[in-house]
Amino acid sequence: MSSLHKIEVENLNAWYGHQQVLIDISMNIKDKAVTAIMGPSGCGKTTFIRCLNRMHELVPRAKVSGKVIFDGVNIYDNGVDPTWVRRRIGMVFQKPNPFPTLSVYDNVAFGPRIHGIRDRKLLDQIVKQSLEMAGLWEEVKGDLRRPASALSGGQQQRLCIARALALEPEVILMDEPTSHLDPISAAKIEMLIRKLAEKYAIVIVTHNVQQAARVSDYVAFFYMGKLIEYGPTKEVFERPKSELTERYVTGKFG
Amino acid sequence: MERIIDSELRGLETMITQMCELAQKAVSTALHESLYHGDSYDKIRETSDFLMILADQVEDKAVEIILKFQPVASDLRMVKTFTRISYDLARLGRYALDIAYVNRRFNGVRDCDQWIREYIKDMSQKVMSMVELSLTSIKNKSLKSVKEVSDLEREVDELYKNFLDKIAKGTSESRAIVSSVLIVRYLERIADHMVYAHESLIYMLTGRRELIE
Repeated sequence: MSSLHKIEVENLNAWYGHQQVLIDISMNIKDKAVTAIMGPSGCGKTTFIRCLNRMHELVPRAKVSGKVIFDGVNIYDNGVDPTWVRRRIGMVFQKPNPFPTLSVYDNVAFGPRIHGIRDRKLLDQIVKQSLEMAGLWEEVKGDLRRPASALSGGQQQRLCIARALALEPEVILMDEPTSHLDPISAAKIEMLIRKLAEKYAIVIVTHNVQQAARVSDYVAFFYMGKLIEYGPTKEVFERPKSELTERYVTGKFG
Repeated sequence: MERIIDSELRGLETMITQMCELAQKAVSTALHESLYHGDSYDKIRETSDFLMILADQVEDKAVEIILKFQPVASDLRMVKTFTRISYDLARLGRYALDIAYVNRRFNGVRDCDQWIREYIKDMSQKVMSMVELSLTSIKNKSLKSVKEVSDLEREVDELYKNFLDKIAKGTSESRAIVSSVLIVRYLERIADHMVYAHESLIYMLTGRRELIE
């Protein structure tokens, strides 16, 4: 595997029951870059990223075929622990979902504790570092014991990012992470995504064409379960190769 | 259903079409008068100034479209291209004005030797063909004339170099006159562009569009 590729997807297919939602997807996710997955509703974007860390299989009657090779390992091979996969490939969801009754501190420390870290000093360090990387430390450092539900929507989403970072992932999947946020909070998340891309491979699902243009290095356009076009963001947005992509990004769809 | 951006893009296109017609007429009039008769300097000055204003308006509209719609793909290419073409068309107006100035001040090429008049007539016809073909291509968004325009440009280039070669073979006095006129001209152009740069700076720093007299 090329060191530039963090994940290689080969002939990936996915189903919900008998309904096939992804058809023969092959693409590489670059390391230290933002890859945006865009496409109309129901095109398979969210299913695709959920297949990248084996969350798809948590849905009853869901099925996957094909390969997702992460650091040389096909995550769907027998014997691969899905918990290991989800730790290395973290996920941030559309709606901020911190544990509302837990404190800011405990939300971030939750993952490391589950994975056996008990040393208080080490936990303090992980919490601080994760909140700093998520751009939230300065806003919450005065009261880490306040409940997560006391934070604004944008702060809650950054807390969720900090929670994902606390597990030291290598890839971060984000499913429309700004769709529930006001423009200022969304802009902060976008800045954060760019900063995180210096260290991680980021895959972001977005409905917002302009957001994809702003934050991503590579863009994949999905339509009806198929990967229609994938390439550097500038090329896809300036000279799309596919007529379908052209129609989607210029809003001439439907 | 028509997108909101479509009517804005049409607005840009309308301005470009208007610029094409004005620029073509200005160049054609100036060239004709340089060879035959007439003095439309004042009228061409008005047209040229108006073309500059239209180019500014195209730029403003393009920026407005970018801000409002954040266009991509073919929409983005159209906005970028029309902005660039509007500048080219404004330059055509300026060159027409330059020729009109030479007409008024030096009687065009009407007092030149027969061979020079014929030479410039030939060159003018080729250039006007290029202008017509290009402006038709812009208006129709067509690539039909790409090769023809490229071939003509090579011929015009060749005519320009040959003309200078012929002058170079003449007397030292004619060589000196031509070389000084060309250099003085280029110096004047450089000076003009520095003024334009300052006009842009005024806009950047104050938000005002001002022409430096």
